[in-house]
Amino acid sequence: MIFEKRTERIFLAIFFVIALCIPLFLEDNSFFVGKATTILILAVFVMSLDFLVGRVGLVTLGHALFYGLGGYLFVIVTPEYEAVNFWLYALYIMGISAVVALVVGVVVLRTSGIYFIMITLAISQMVYYFFFDSLEFGGNDGLFIFMKPETSIFGLNFLNLDNPTHFYYLSLLAVLVTLLAIKIILRSRFGRIVEASRLNPERTEALGYNIFAFRLISYIIGSTLAAYAGLLFALQYGYVNPQFMTWEMSGTALVMSILGGMGTIYGAILGTITYEGLQYFFEHMSEDWMLFMGGAIILMVLLLRKGLAGYLEKLLEK
Amino acid sequence: MSTELFFVQLINGLQYGLLLFLIASGLTLVFGVMGILNLAHGSMYMVGAYLVWYFVAVTGSFTVSAILSAVIALGLGILIERVLIQRLYNRNHLDQVLLTIGMIFVFNSLQSILWGNDPYGVAVPDALSGSVPFTDNSSYPVYRIFAAFICIAIAAALYFVVSKTRLGMLIRAGESNREMVEALGVNIKSLYTIVFAIGVMLAAVSGIIAAPMRSIVPGMGESVLITCFVVVVIGGMGSIKGAFVGALLVGVISTFAAVLMPTMSNMIIYIFMILVLLVKPQGLFAK
Repeated sequence: MIFEKRTERIFLAIFFVIALCIPLFLEDNSFFVGKATTILILAVFVMSLDFLVGRVGLVTLGHALFYGLGGYLFVIVTPEYEAVNFWLYALYIMGISAVVALVVGVVVLRTSGIYFIMITLAISQMVYYFFFDSLEFGGNDGLFIFMKPETSIFGLNFLNLDNPTHFYYLSLLAVLVTLLAIKIILRSRFGRIVEASRLNPERTEALGYNIFAFRLISYIIGSTLAAYAGLLFALQYGYVNPQFMTWEMSGTALVMSILGGMGTIYGAILGTITYEGLQYFFEHMSEDWMLFMGGAIILMVLLLRKGLAGYLEKLLEK
Repeated sequence: MSTELFFVQLINGLQYGLLLFLIASGLTLVFGVMGILNLAHGSMYMVGAYLVWYFVAVTGSFTVSAILSAVIALGLGILIERVLIQRLYNRNHLDQVLLTIGMIFVFNSLQSILWGNDPYGVAVPDALSGSVPFTDNSSYPVYRIFAAFICIAIAAALYFVVSKTRLGMLIRAGESNREMVEALGVNIKSLYTIVFAIGVMLAAVSGIIAAPMRSIVPGMGESVLITCFVVVVIGGMGSIKGAFVGALLVGVISTFAAVLMPTMSNMIIYIFMILVLLVKPQGLFAK
């Protein structure tokens, strides 16, 4: 069983049952299906961050760089008025993102601790301003996606991305695959060494492992998953702009992941839903939703030592 | 670029750098002594600017408003440390990050509730409103020169306090070994409160000084925060000397970049920071 904890199994079972059913109840409310889709996509992004920060020990404040990159790459590499194959191009884009992550990783992994936070922030800000000030990439307005890709596999076509419900299930699939992928990686020999190098880098190194290589590969995995999430987000809304890669975007994802319970992976889903839910609730309650949101975040830090997942585990594990 | 333009830009850059130093000094002081990365530091800069704008509108005097705002900021710093920060000393850094992000939300929201979202400006005080002739056909505003000197004076005062006084000695001792300082009977709790409050006040004072030179707008705190990160990282986190050098470098480089390569000007300081970290992964004045 790759889900070791009871709380984790209970939460994920409830989550997937509800998530599978949501479109059935909201079939004619495409706004809510769209909102739910966005939350799922964000959950993929936050899980990839949770893996890096909580499990590999790489606290990045520039993760949104890859989120935006996924969107930008799609517009850049696809012909403007032609529906390309989604799966093929998703792989292609993740491949390019992996190469970018390799280059960025080699640079940022030379630093550690607080300097790692800052250099990841600096690189994402640099790329943010590159797109923000560029004329060929649309500057602040970004780029539009005119044609949604088609999703046939071997001639079979069962998903239509123009249909919000279909897109919702595609995003739910992304959550499932990301969750399983991260869990399997963490259970593998590779994952154990990665965690060992977080907990005790000196000893892991002394055992003969090249920590740098393990961290670099993890960084590439996390960043590539983030790029996939960004690609989905861009496709859902039909555009990509520099706002995808602001430091606020990276910061919010970090908040969601800490809120959910750092390093628990399933907590990232919980944190994303809670954050988005609270924000939606406060936005509709008052114009000054940020005051309540900020207050709620502060309260949760003070009261929950290990995030929401930690709280649930205290209730359910015995 | 003519020599004249070069010197004007150089002075602009240094003056901007000095202001950056003033903001960054609080950030690096709090990090160096308490190990706390205060993401809400930029909000304190914003608070200073808004407070002085408000008090100038009420009292009409810039001096009175500046003093009032600085005192309020000091009180705010003590309050925040006592009520919130103090609870997180034995938690990990990520909890502190989360808490201070929550504080950014609260302060941004309070700003919009109390003062709305219109941009404001503070008039330069009458006594400082002229400009000094620079060459035959250019001049430099007196207030900017005054602001630069205030920044230098505060930098000198900070240097004096940290290196020559008993408080400074405790601060330096707390940086290197907090348990030992505590064991020697020093009340480290109140030391931390003082340091945090000074950090907040330094940010607010920067906002006060900047108010007559820059527009007072929502979000002004966040943009300055990121630039300050660049400054303290280039200098070496926790090093006040490093913040000084880093601030002047960033100030001059970004000012010249804005003139020489406008399309890349926003990116330049980040590129510079990455280059510095590649050569010195802990910044220029690493401890």
